[in-house]
Amino acid sequence: MEKFKEIIRQYPFLGFIIAFFILMAIPSIFFTDLYQSHLSSLIFINIIVAAGLNIVKGYCGQVTVGHVGLYAVGSYTAGCMFMYLGASLWITLPVAILVTGLFGVAFAIPSFRLEGPYLALATLGGGEAIRLFIENGEFFGSTYGISSISQPELFGITFDTPDKYYYISMPIMLIAIYFSFSVLRSSIGRAFMAVREDPISAAASGINVKKHKMLAFILSAMFAGAAGAVYAHLPPGYIHPNNYTVIEMVTFLAMVVFGGLGHIWGGIIGAVIITIVYDLTRPLYEYQLFIFGLTIVLTILFMPKGIGGFIDKYFIDRRFKKKQAVADK
Amino acid sequence: MKKIKIIFSSLVFTASLLMSTIAQADNIKIGVSFRMLSDVGYKHGMLIEDTVKMWNSQGGINGKKIDLTLYNDECKSEKGVANATKLAYQDKVHVIIGSSCSSVTLPMVPVITKAGVPQIIPHSTSSKITMTGSEYIFRVPVSSRFYKIVQGKFTAEQQGKKIAYIYVPDQASMVFAKEMMKYMKDEYGVDPVYQVQAGEKETDFRSFLMKAKAANPDVIVLSGLVDETVRMLVQSYEVGIPKSVHRVANSVASKVEVPTNAGKAAVGVVYSAAFAASDTRPIAKKFVKMVKSKYGVTPGHDFSQMQDLLDMLKPALEQVNFTGNLAADRNAVRDSIAGIRNFTGLASGPISFCAAGSPECRDGNKTPVMIKYTRGGKNWKTAVAGTVTFKPSDGL
Repeated sequence: MEKFKEIIRQYPFLGFIIAFFILMAIPSIFFTDLYQSHLSSLIFINIIVAAGLNIVKGYCGQVTVGHVGLYAVGSYTAGCMFMYLGASLWITLPVAILVTGLFGVAFAIPSFRLEGPYLALATLGGGEAIRLFIENGEFFGSTYGISSISQPELFGITFDTPDKYYYISMPIMLIAIYFSFSVLRSSIGRAFMAVREDPISAAASGINVKKHKMLAFILSAMFAGAAGAVYAHLPPGYIHPNNYTVIEMVTFLAMVVFGGLGHIWGGIIGAVIITIVYDLTRPLYEYQLFIFGLTIVLTILFMPKGIGGFIDKYFIDRRFKKKQAVADK
Repeated sequence: MKKIKIIFSSLVFTASLLMSTIAQADNIKIGVSFRMLSDVGYKHGMLIEDTVKMWNSQGGINGKKIDLTLYNDECKSEKGVANATKLAYQDKVHVIIGSSCSSVTLPMVPVITKAGVPQIIPHSTSSKITMTGSEYIFRVPVSSRFYKIVQGKFTAEQQGKKIAYIYVPDQASMVFAKEMMKYMKDEYGVDPVYQVQAGEKETDFRSFLMKAKAANPDVIVLSGLVDETVRMLVQSYEVGIPKSVHRVANSVASKVEVPTNAGKAAVGVVYSAAFAASDTRPIAKKFVKMVKSKYGVTPGHDFSQMQDLLDMLKPALEQVNFTGNLAADRNAVRDSIAGIRNFTGLASGPISFCAAGSPECRDGNKTPVMIKYTRGGKNWKTAVAGTVTFKPSDGL
């Protein structure tokens, strides 16, 4: 087991290949109906957004409340490319990532001068402005939304049902997580953390703060763009400005906070749990928002580092106990 | 000992789950995806729950109990699609009721069509929904394609052709205003004297209303959701638009909040809907009394359409011989609903469906009614200004 762990530590890519094969097998072993596949795709999409949000908020410490606007940019880039050019996911996905990355630049600029609640307000305004622009623009389908966005085809298979689309959203999610891990474990990730902890000290240590803030916003925007494009093509392929409101933004933030801000697994754990809890509480619609509000308040009060913090504490304690046992001997 | 206890309790739990599943397998399942955000939204949900409870207490349908699954879609397409998928594949319902918002119902159609589950719409009016050609979709309310004609014709012939339009970016409000503009242009060659799309959740419409006033219109069309409609009506008097300028609203004006909150400003407002609380038929009077006493509100046409839907659904389900084969049972429910002819309930006209999945067959109510508020405030009153029954293909 120790040897296996060592190999994974040396070649993390192998871990993702194993995860890929496990996730490939899950539907045929555990899923009993198509809804579970649909829910899984939603979880994967939320994981991509939350992983991106974790980069800018959890690692780089920039308070952004407008990420849902970037998610909308990704969706509408894909939707419009389909509507006007008939493009499929294979074309819309990279374009959506690039376009949303450019929007990330616009979101990053205020972070050079603003911090905390002021930056939150600026990004909130940006996100809402994007949604309102879409809602009022006939080019974007306005309040009619864009419907019948096609599902991707590969090797003659059309991924037009939730069970098939699972095999599109899952690998994209894995690639996104791998990319996020690679960035966060590199010198860039460490620079992000330095900027988060103290920008002045970071600058004194030779880190270009502006450059890294910009990079964090661009990277996280690219994640949101990818998620948006995958969502746009999710069967039945319909997007509407109503799906990109502040409420969705709060849900994304809840995922990251609940999972653990700045924890490498934080956004992923949060996305999985929040999406499933949201689904399970669907019949309790009168209390659903109350449950969510209470969860966020209780998490911040009693678990400020989220579930990720607990996991960290568990491993640190275990390592400490092991070392202490060795020392006692 | 502890292990034996765990194994035993797990077995009991599994057995009880299995038993309840077997018991439920014989039941008729109805799924609902609905906007249950506001007070009135919750009350619509309560109306469905109470009606199904009553059916069950009366012995169910042909001796079978009805299981009701109610989900809130918050008027969001993402939630509506998830609800439709869950109801179709996980809850395995026989029929779906929903949704209230056209932008939610529209993406639900391909989901339910693929799954082969019949869906009855209680409120969504967008003509696009039935134009999808799905064999599984049925609409109880009047389609926007009929509303635009009746409203356009009434306005042009009774009120005037110099029309100013103020609308908000909500799908139903926008469709109403734009379709009416198009109709006026196509039929009478008339362009709007002023038109503007206000912002979302706009609260101050006075600048738009001042511009509309400057255009000296005969009619001013105020198309918005409940709050916006109320504000536009009240503010239209604040900016000095005289009473002689006719105020026209979309079917949202049938909601109780409009005359209650707009007060005197609601007087004279004309709108087209599928039901008027001032309806003097005994069935309507009885319904209004029931809703007032049970839910504490005067019912608008959304309430009446939901009641009609449930009253139509029950006999349709009674005609189905449920075999236990879900796909076959769903198709049988679909065919039974498609067999409904001239259902006379609370709606302004008879509701009929037929077999083909075309708008002609699936837009059930073809009789919108023109209604005018004669009194505003808590004790509001309406009068029927006119009723028209359309041919199935009109407005296509």
